[in-house]
Amino acid sequence: MLEQLLIFTRGGLILWTCKELGKALKGSPIDTLIRSCLLEERSGEVSFNYEAYTLKWTFHNDLGLVFVAVYQRILHLLYVDDLLSMVKESFSEIYDPKRMSYDDFDETFRQLRMEAEARGMTNGNHKMEDDDSDKTNGKENTADNVVLDPSKLMKLRSKGVRGRGGVRKTDSIGNKSSKVAAAEPPKKATKKNRVWDDAAPKQVKLDFTDSVDENGNGNHDHVDIAAADQGESMMDKEEVFSSDDESEDDDDDELRSDEKKPEAKKKGWFSSVFQSITGKANLERTDLEPALKALKERLMTKNVAEEIAEKLCESVEASLEGKKLASFTRISSTVQGAMEDALIRILTPRRSIDIMRDVHAAKEQRRPYVVVFVGVNGVGKSTNLAKVAYWLQQHKVSVMMAACDTFRSGAVEQLRTHARRLQIPIFEKGYEKDPAVVAKEAIQEATRNGSDVVLVDTAGRMQDNEPLMRALSKLINLNKPDLVLFVGEALVGNDAVDQLSKFNQKLSDLSNSGTTRLIDGILLTKFDTIDDKVGAALSMVYISGAPVMFVGCGQSYTDLKKLNVKAIVKTLLK
Amino acid sequence: MENLEDLKLMVEQWTNQGPEYLQKIPPFQLYAAIGLLLLTTVLLLSFRLVRRTKSNTVLLSGLSGSGKTVLFYQLRDGSSHQGSVTSMEPNEGTFVFHSEHAKKGKIKPVHLVDAPGHSRLRPKLEEFLPQAAAIVFVVDALEFLPNCRAASEYLYDILTNANVVKKKIPVLLCCNKTDKLTAHTKEFIKKQMEKEMQYEKLRASRSAVSTADIANDYTIGIEGEVFSFSHCCNRVTVAEASGLNGETVQVQDFIREYIKP
Repeated sequence: MLEQLLIFTRGGLILWTCKELGKALKGSPIDTLIRSCLLEERSGEVSFNYEAYTLKWTFHNDLGLVFVAVYQRILHLLYVDDLLSMVKESFSEIYDPKRMSYDDFDETFRQLRMEAEARGMTNGNHKMEDDDSDKTNGKENTADNVVLDPSKLMKLRSKGVRGRGGVRKTDSIGNKSSKVAAAEPPKKATKKNRVWDDAAPKQVKLDFTDSVDENGNGNHDHVDIAAADQGESMMDKEEVFSSDDESEDDDDDELRSDEKKPEAKKKGWFSSVFQSITGKANLERTDLEPALKALKERLMTKNVAEEIAEKLCESVEASLEGKKLASFTRISSTVQGAMEDALIRILTPRRSIDIMRDVHAAKEQRRPYVVVFVGVNGVGKSTNLAKVAYWLQQHKVSVMMAACDTFRSGAVEQLRTHARRLQIPIFEKGYEKDPAVVAKEAIQEATRNGSDVVLVDTAGRMQDNEPLMRALSKLINLNKPDLVLFVGEALVGNDAVDQLSKFNQKLSDLSNSGTTRLIDGILLTKFDTIDDKVGAALSMVYISGAPVMFVGCGQSYTDLKKLNVKAIVKTLLK
Repeated sequence: MENLEDLKLMVEQWTNQGPEYLQKIPPFQLYAAIGLLLLTTVLLLSFRLVRRTKSNTVLLSGLSGSGKTVLFYQLRDGSSHQGSVTSMEPNEGTFVFHSEHAKKGKIKPVHLVDAPGHSRLRPKLEEFLPQAAAIVFVVDALEFLPNCRAASEYLYDILTNANVVKKKIPVLLCCNKTDKLTAHTKEFIKKQMEKEMQYEKLRASRSAVSTADIANDYTIGIEGEVFSFSHCCNRVTVAEASGLNGETVQVQDFIREYIKP
């Protein structure tokens, strides 16, 4: 049974709701649909789940109307899609921009609903046997989807072979590292070297770190204190944005598209030119396909993950289908414009990413602001942690580092060197300690000595490594950090999707208390190594919904900057 | 090639004949023609200058959920119809207020723009700022404290925008949903906003992502003093309204103050 069916404009005014189904909806499913699905460029999806409801929608792009149907999730109503398209057709006939109330539509809707239900019944009887297997698959999907909001949005309709192959590959790597990791934690006491003789010569310990006494004042000749002489961090420098001529890009695009697609001229050259001048044609799927395909390939050459590019193109298609072409515009330029809008919308953060504000707020509450850096191996967590510490220090914020990477050899020494150069305190407990406990003690220490920010460094871990992900979850649950920053490198390709979705999934699965902490922000590293293949930023933001807070673009302390949305969009679509 | 030479000859003939022809015209007519040309260009330029200052665009901005769309339809039609959802696109309209329909005579219509408040659609607001004659910043008086920080950040962004500072666009801080019992008063909201703006001012760097190409170099307020709205060079006033009940008198008065009927 349908719970509700709404018709509203893209500007937000509700034009018509079904008065028969007068039940008030629990919560605000429509607003959530708009905020987490339609504005996130996921309008190409089939449906959206919100608590106990499932929502389906369709657009009438020409008139700027949205039709949404809400029904109980446990019911698998088959006639909803049919009903929506019928409602769309009949409503667009009576729609008038000046009219605000459409009470006469009630009768029409009642008839349409009965018709659709009847049709659904007959079809359902025929398809019952075939659909049984589909339904069980569908139920499994929805069962998984109950777990996590972001991950269910990310689940593909049909997981392709590529996805499974990729999982298998990372599984084998994960197994190896998990075996090694499994060997480490059970050892509580370190092994002592067995001494056979009484007067055995003592072996010189192999240790190349600088000699350090208790105060941490090492050999100052080798270590120069970074302090303020490295100059301003690039975070504070405004980027000069040059608005290039766009016409040259369009000409290049035209040439390429002309070369590649001589077979797409189904309508004939003259009629398409005529239509582009008068602008009367309604955009159909067949018209949009070649332009969208070219756009998708272009995005993929810029290192955007394949499934993300696919979903984006579907979303743009859904928003353009049926729209009237403006006069004197080509289809490709309309599609390009829509894609540009969509990309800017995705990359613009959903909430404010002002860390300074949050730090001040935490300072007022007399507690330190805790940031945890997570990510897979080798992306640059420790390096970028030092860069963030430098930037914060430049803004007169007192920082403390916590060395919770108790696994990798040299991790603690690395952080110790950074701390010495930047002259900030570091809390460390050596190796083979429980990172969650070390973090907790670090936060207590910070509260005691009045540090404003605690930067927690964790060990790199593969997303498929179950015990390590559990350990990370425990760290986050125990310490309740203010910001969970996922560090990802810009060189990553399709794996970005897998990394982020698995991290989010594990964090939400293994959280014990009511509030699940997911990834709050992304730190994109090694940005200087990619020239214009900036697609990894888009994949990561799309899949997790978290904004990019910092971009690391080099190996010195000042190489940290903000993400310039317009420049990235321009590079992606060039 | 022959055609080209013919053309060249013709052009040469014309150029030779030109000065002779000009000399034949009595000088008075020549001066009159030139004078008329100059006059029309001067008039056109002055029209453009004059029209720029008399724009009649009013911008409705504020966080998502503060009641802008409802307010828009109240001002236009006198009723909020069947309610609203989160806007995905701006609502624009040029009209005379619903309450002013009864008045006789020619009243200048207002071009009202309701910009979406969702943070992802923030760039849409910046498109309309250059043409705005006044800005109404709508704040939810009911759910004020949880959203106080976001609202003050948004307001700070608007007040430090280059267009707003240069043209001294007046801003009205409109506290919406005052019909509800637990809504805060406008004095409370004003004080809270000033306090939050103080924090915004204190920070040296703002890490807002999408302003990389808009020069937000302006800071507002006086150094060393607690921020107050009177420090802004443009006028900032506070008013109350209720979108659902149709109490939009204060907003209408503010708009009519700057767009004379």
